[in-house]
Amino acid sequence: MRFSSSPACSRSLSSCPLLYIFQDVEQAYKGRTVLSVARWSVRRGTVLGLVGPNGSGKSTLLRLMGFVEFPVRGTIFFEGRRISRKDAQALRLEVTLLPQDPYLLDRTVADNVAYGLSVRGVRRGRAARVQEALQWVGLDPGVFGGRSVRALSGGEARRTALAARLAVRPQVLLLDEPTAEIDGDSVQRVRSAILHARSNWGATVVVTSHDREWLLTFCDEIQEMRDGRLTGPIAAKATIGVQ
Amino acid sequence: MGPFLEALIRAFRMILTVDPEVYSAVGTTLYVSTVSLVLSLLFGIPAGFLLGYASFPGRRVLRTFVDTLLSLPTVLIGLLVYGLLTHNGPLGRFELLFTVHAIVIGQSLLGFPIVTALTASAVEALDQRLRLTLLSLGASPLRRCATSLREARYGLLAAAVTAYGRVLTEVGIAIMVGGNIKWHTRTLTTAIALETNKGDFAAGIALGLILLLMASGVNAALYGLRKRA
Amino acid sequence: MKKAIQGVLRLLVVLGVLEYAAAGNAETLMMATTTSTDATGFLDALAPKVKEILQIDLRWVATGTGKALELGKRCDVDILLVHAPRAEKEYVQHGYGVNRRVLMYNDFVLVGPPSDPAKVKGSEIEEAMRRIAGSKASFVSRGDNSGTHMKEIELWRAAGLADVPSYPEYLETGQGMMATLEVASQRRAYTLTDRATLAKFGEDAHRASSLPVLVEGAESLKNYYSLITVNPEKCPKVRAASAEKFTEWMVGPEGQAFIGAFRVGGRPVFLPDAQRRQ
Repeated sequence: MRFSSSPACSRSLSSCPLLYIFQDVEQAYKGRTVLSVARWSVRRGTVLGLVGPNGSGKSTLLRLMGFVEFPVRGTIFFEGRRISRKDAQALRLEVTLLPQDPYLLDRTVADNVAYGLSVRGVRRGRAARVQEALQWVGLDPGVFGGRSVRALSGGEARRTALAARLAVRPQVLLLDEPTAEIDGDSVQRVRSAILHARSNWGATVVVTSHDREWLLTFCDEIQEMRDGRLTGPIAAKATIGVQ
Repeated sequence: MGPFLEALIRAFRMILTVDPEVYSAVGTTLYVSTVSLVLSLLFGIPAGFLLGYASFPGRRVLRTFVDTLLSLPTVLIGLLVYGLLTHNGPLGRFELLFTVHAIVIGQSLLGFPIVTALTASAVEALDQRLRLTLLSLGASPLRRCATSLREARYGLLAAAVTAYGRVLTEVGIAIMVGGNIKWHTRTLTTAIALETNKGDFAAGIALGLILLLMASGVNAALYGLRKRA
Repeated sequence: MKKAIQGVLRLLVVLGVLEYAAAGNAETLMMATTTSTDATGFLDALAPKVKEILQIDLRWVATGTGKALELGKRCDVDILLVHAPRAEKEYVQHGYGVNRRVLMYNDFVLVGPPSDPAKVKGSEIEEAMRRIAGSKASFVSRGDNSGTHMKEIELWRAAGLADVPSYPEYLETGQGMMATLEVASQRRAYTLTDRATLAKFGEDAHRASSLPVLVEGAESLKNYYSLITVNPEKCPKVRAASAEKFTEWMVGPEGQAFIGAFRVGGRPVFLPDAQRRQ
């Protein structure tokens, strides 16, 4: 599947094409419905915040957007194309999810960050991209690069996992509670990394958090979720092109 | 002089004087057990991985079956391989009976379920979050398998060490389908059985000490690999 | 890691080459035999001579006579060296073997506890067997279908018993002669043994005194070893020419002289007896 680079939408977000379209999407586990989205879309280049209580369906929505699972009913369009299971493998090279409780491979920090690159066959400049990604999340490559992941604190591990997603420069970055267990200074690092991803390669970012105020400082749009439904935008930052 | 002290002295003498009979048995033992281990790993790791990783109908039953095979007695395997390789048996025309290849076949059958069961356990014990992480990083199905195996590497090492220990020390298969033929299929364990038969207990214990020495050398090498992995 | 794997592979290649190099040019002759010929070192001494003079690479599987005959029936060996005349004759009659040649004998002796509770010392062997069974004295049998076991059964029959005795103190070990002697010594029981294994067992003076010889010397206690070639008509792959060459040499003056000269601990073990053709 080929991805067109974003057309002339740099001036105004509303002129950007729709990246995701959800139509009557329903997800259920063992017969229990956990998510139900009648009609919803996300424009390319958006930084979208998702808020809502635990169990409101945020993580499920991110997993569907990340093509790591598929709805029991309804249709998801991505770049105007109806997505089926057989497209998933190719799509996951462009769309990457940072799960709420990320797992690190039993290797060094640098090897973890390089994993997504090696999966994509990137060889040239791999080391440089690993260093760069570590710097974005505020981990000194000289100190942390060769360290075993077993020697990391919870916050360091979480940032390593984020760096692994940033290193592959995905079109879509889906972050599930990226600031849990992270101290204040590092929270700002996560924010700048998100903004960096958008300005540098035009990434679309969806981020869930319990911290509404924090999301307000950088999101184009914030959606609230409740009982598996999107209950509408609650606030939007006055930013580029929002009319 | 007690038999154990005598055995210890004789073991050292056998090693230091390069006793050709002992070295022949050591060589045969090393050859059959190593080839058997390699074959067990070659078939057992993929089988164990499938068993622990994939979900398919009958997986539980198959898993229990493989666990049962762990207690397969070596004499029974020996009998089975004998039935296969005997002149009138299904594989008789290859004339493998009473050769090292026959022992290799039997010991591979011994090692295979051990590697399979322990690999399956190691893969089952992997972190539940691994799958989602690999998916989200875009790993292909083949890549996911390879990475999962690598994550389970300490478990696989334990499987290899366990299988090697069993294969190295078994005597039932080696004597039944190998025939304990001097210079050809005599392994350390069948040599011990023979010395016991001859009533030379000290020689048997001395050979046993050499076997233990070999086993500890192999284990040290394998754990050296672990440090570097 | 890579180096380690390479090292292992190299080792395997070297060992594989050794395995084939050891075979040499001589033709292999596969023999099934009994533990006594192996455990005494008789075949170990014989094999180099056979290789040198006949260019035959003699290999053997040592097991009980029963299993040795079975290996022959299944065409898994070329030649048998066994000691159970009655079973051997049946074996040849059924067409499994050809060219049965008596080669040598050793003799059996009845041993037992020094206290001799059944009072058998010095009596005829048949009478001794009757007294043991009559007094239900402790007796250890090989119970493994070996030549020695078959001889024991023969002796019970010769003693006029309808069947092999079965009473609590009649024990079957199912093991080799050495292990059976050990059991007899520990349980203060009678047992039948070949003299060669007893000599080996008695190298320790304490053990020798625990199992003195009580009955010996009768013709019925002689233990004849024969060579039988596996029938090439039933088993086409049998190396019949080598078997023939080996058999002729063994029953000839050179082979018979070798048998007579073989010693364990300075004592002869087997007595050549190829004259007595059957």
